[in-house]
Amino acid sequence: MIVCVAVVGHQNNPVFLQSFTDSDDALKLHHIVHCSLDVIDERVNNPKKSGPTLNDTFLGVLYPMDDCKVYGYLTNTNVKFIMVTTDTDLKDGDLRSFFKDLHSAYVDAVSNPFHIPGKKITSKSFAERVSSIVKSFGSGSTF
Amino acid sequence: MIGAGKMKQYGNVLEKPLSKGRHEVSLSAFAFLFSELVQYNQTQVDNIAELERRLEDAGYAVGARVLELLCHREKGNRRETRLLGILSFVHSTVWKVLFGKVADSLEKGTEHEDEYMISEKELLVNRFISIPKDMGTFNCGAFVAGIVRGVLDSAGFPAVVTAHFVPMEGLQRPRTTILIKFAEEVIKREARLG
Repeated sequence: MIVCVAVVGHQNNPVFLQSFTDSDDALKLHHIVHCSLDVIDERVNNPKKSGPTLNDTFLGVLYPMDDCKVYGYLTNTNVKFIMVTTDTDLKDGDLRSFFKDLHSAYVDAVSNPFHIPGKKITSKSFAERVSSIVKSFGSGSTF
Repeated sequence: MIGAGKMKQYGNVLEKPLSKGRHEVSLSAFAFLFSELVQYNQTQVDNIAELERRLEDAGYAVGARVLELLCHREKGNRRETRLLGILSFVHSTVWKVLFGKVADSLEKGTEHEDEYMISEKELLVNRFISIPKDMGTFNCGAFVAGIVRGVLDSAGFPAVVTAHFVPMEGLQRPRTTILIKFAEEVIKREARLG
């Protein structure tokens, strides 16, 4: 179950945040996303591996907590996608395709000439696309 | 389709499936739109410097979006951190997507360390434009300069980009050069990376 999806700009400014549960801890989700930004920064500045994996976009598990995991994805322009989920076992391929779909939706939203770079994404169609991607992610992984 | 018997006949043109479309736009449509853009901006400003600035700002917005789009479409998806890397990216990939061919040349400036030049015999946007004598050194390539500035800025290489006409012997029309002057911090970072 995906709990929330967030998009953070290259100056660590929040561009989009959407939670998919009805629980009231939206603040807790904000906090989790904020903490995971630190993990991303430290991964980017001190790479463990060098060579071809240095500029990889998918960052993997950022922050395992007791009930949920946080996954990160970094684009070429330093825009970060963060996903918090309560699922315990997720396949790498599923995650990568999820982030790829999210990236496509993000590029389409940014290509909007009325979108000001750096401000929050206010497009309703982007929010709908993200919701449909999240829904199809959950059902796609079960047989 | 493999193994199809006969082609399906569509009674109505509206029933035909939409083709995926070639990634091309007609040159005349673009030239018309660009000339309208220049004319519209000309009515809003009083002097040439302001006109150039407006064209550049328009190009900046395009450049930022082009970078996002290209980085998503490219399979390799490497983030450019080196100066030469981002310059060759602009020189080949961006030019190819926007104008259908790579730029003519990429040179490093001789006087200053932080200057680079991308030259083109004739910029696509200038093909149907001729500058009247009283406008002096104005160049509609300021739009392309803005695109380059947008790409470089969004990639983390702030720079000042301008477009100039450079007269060449043997050619009737002068060559257009996009001059890229990187900010201090970019040069320092590049020196630190070694």
